[in-house]
Amino acid sequence: MRRLLHAILLGLLGAGIVHIIVLLLIPEFSERNAWSRLAMASNLYRMTRLDAEAGGTPVAKSVDPLFYAAACRFDLSDGMVRVKAPGNVPFWSVSVYDRSGHNIYSFNDHSATGKVLDSIVLTPAQMIEIRKDLPEELQEAIFVEAAIDEGMFVIRSFVPDDSWKPTVSRFLEQSSCKLQDY
Amino acid sequence: MAPCPAISPSGNPSFPRLIMLNNAFLTLLALAIAIGGGGGSVWYALKTQDGIGAIRIGQWTAFPDIGTQAADPYSKARVAREGVLALGQAEGLSFIAERDTDGEQLKRQCAYEIEGGFPTARFWTLYAADRSLSVVETGKPRLAALQSYQVLRQPDNSVLISVSNRPAPGNWLLSDGFGRMYLVLTFYDTPIASSTGLSDVTLPQIVKVGCNA
Repeated sequence: MRRLLHAILLGLLGAGIVHIIVLLLIPEFSERNAWSRLAMASNLYRMTRLDAEAGGTPVAKSVDPLFYAAACRFDLSDGMVRVKAPGNVPFWSVSVYDRSGHNIYSFNDHSATGKVLDSIVLTPAQMIEIRKDLPEELQEAIFVEAAIDEGMFVIRSFVPDDSWKPTVSRFLEQSSCKLQDY
Repeated sequence: MAPCPAISPSGNPSFPRLIMLNNAFLTLLALAIAIGGGGGSVWYALKTQDGIGAIRIGQWTAFPDIGTQAADPYSKARVAREGVLALGQAEGLSFIAERDTDGEQLKRQCAYEIEGGFPTARFWTLYAADRSLSVVETGKPRLAALQSYQVLRQPDNSVLISVSNRPAPGNWLLSDGFGRMYLVLTFYDTPIASSTGLSDVTLPQIVKVGCNA
């Protein structure tokens, strides 16, 4: 009887350890995280719609129904990435995530010059490099310094009513996500 | 039972064998409790809606830290498992309600009134959601969602919203179907998304009006 109790106690102690280990390993090994879902939908440096409006199933979970969203994956070890989107929409906001879905940096249209979405994501080392001689065409861009390699760039845009749908769709579809030469 | 001289040459084979079986059984039991209990408890902890790191204001729950490096391990696991791309601080903050003021679970077949003031934000959106927190399918052209630019306000700037599957005067949030319902209220470009802003925020009440079962 005492040995049975001993085994159960040992089991409970083990359960605690397993609980902690499983919890800490889920982010490392999950194949359902946003990065994996996006990787199934498209390649690196390709803007992909996250909402269901563009057809097919939504890529990311729980996107606000009054929002359209698009995302691209990038790898900063290839070089810095530049994201641009033309057009005038009621509200847009941007988040940069690392590979495991942590929000590294976010900003919205009030932070941008003239509400134009033009942003560069780069590592601190690339930032030092580009600061030495900032090219003219990058003067107005928003620089996001992120100490990561792989990441995701997400644009969300508000659709106040049906009449805005084409405009907001065009805004996201014409957005570009490219490696910036320097 | 055949004698087993290798284990017990003394002529009493069953005693050491029983101890061995016993040991094997106890080891297996301990392992089963450890793996089953450990895995199951993680699954249960991730399944429940309010967990660690939640901030409750009235019936509304928010996870201001979700999706950041500062989040607790449970939020991080939930983000990884469900593929969530959480709103950043400069974007907005989402609140989820699953119960009314009486503490009863929200149901899609019931009518509710949401009334009160809303905190400062550029705008907000409100939608009725199912268990997976995606907007409920109404099967109609009208979305089960409202936003602050289209609502009518009362003289004191508060808002009264009727949640029902029948049209209602004023602000009407369409809901339809049967089963559990969640209300998701998201504030965009708001000072409350920084954690210090959350201390004296009041959110609207959710009062049940009636059910057509």
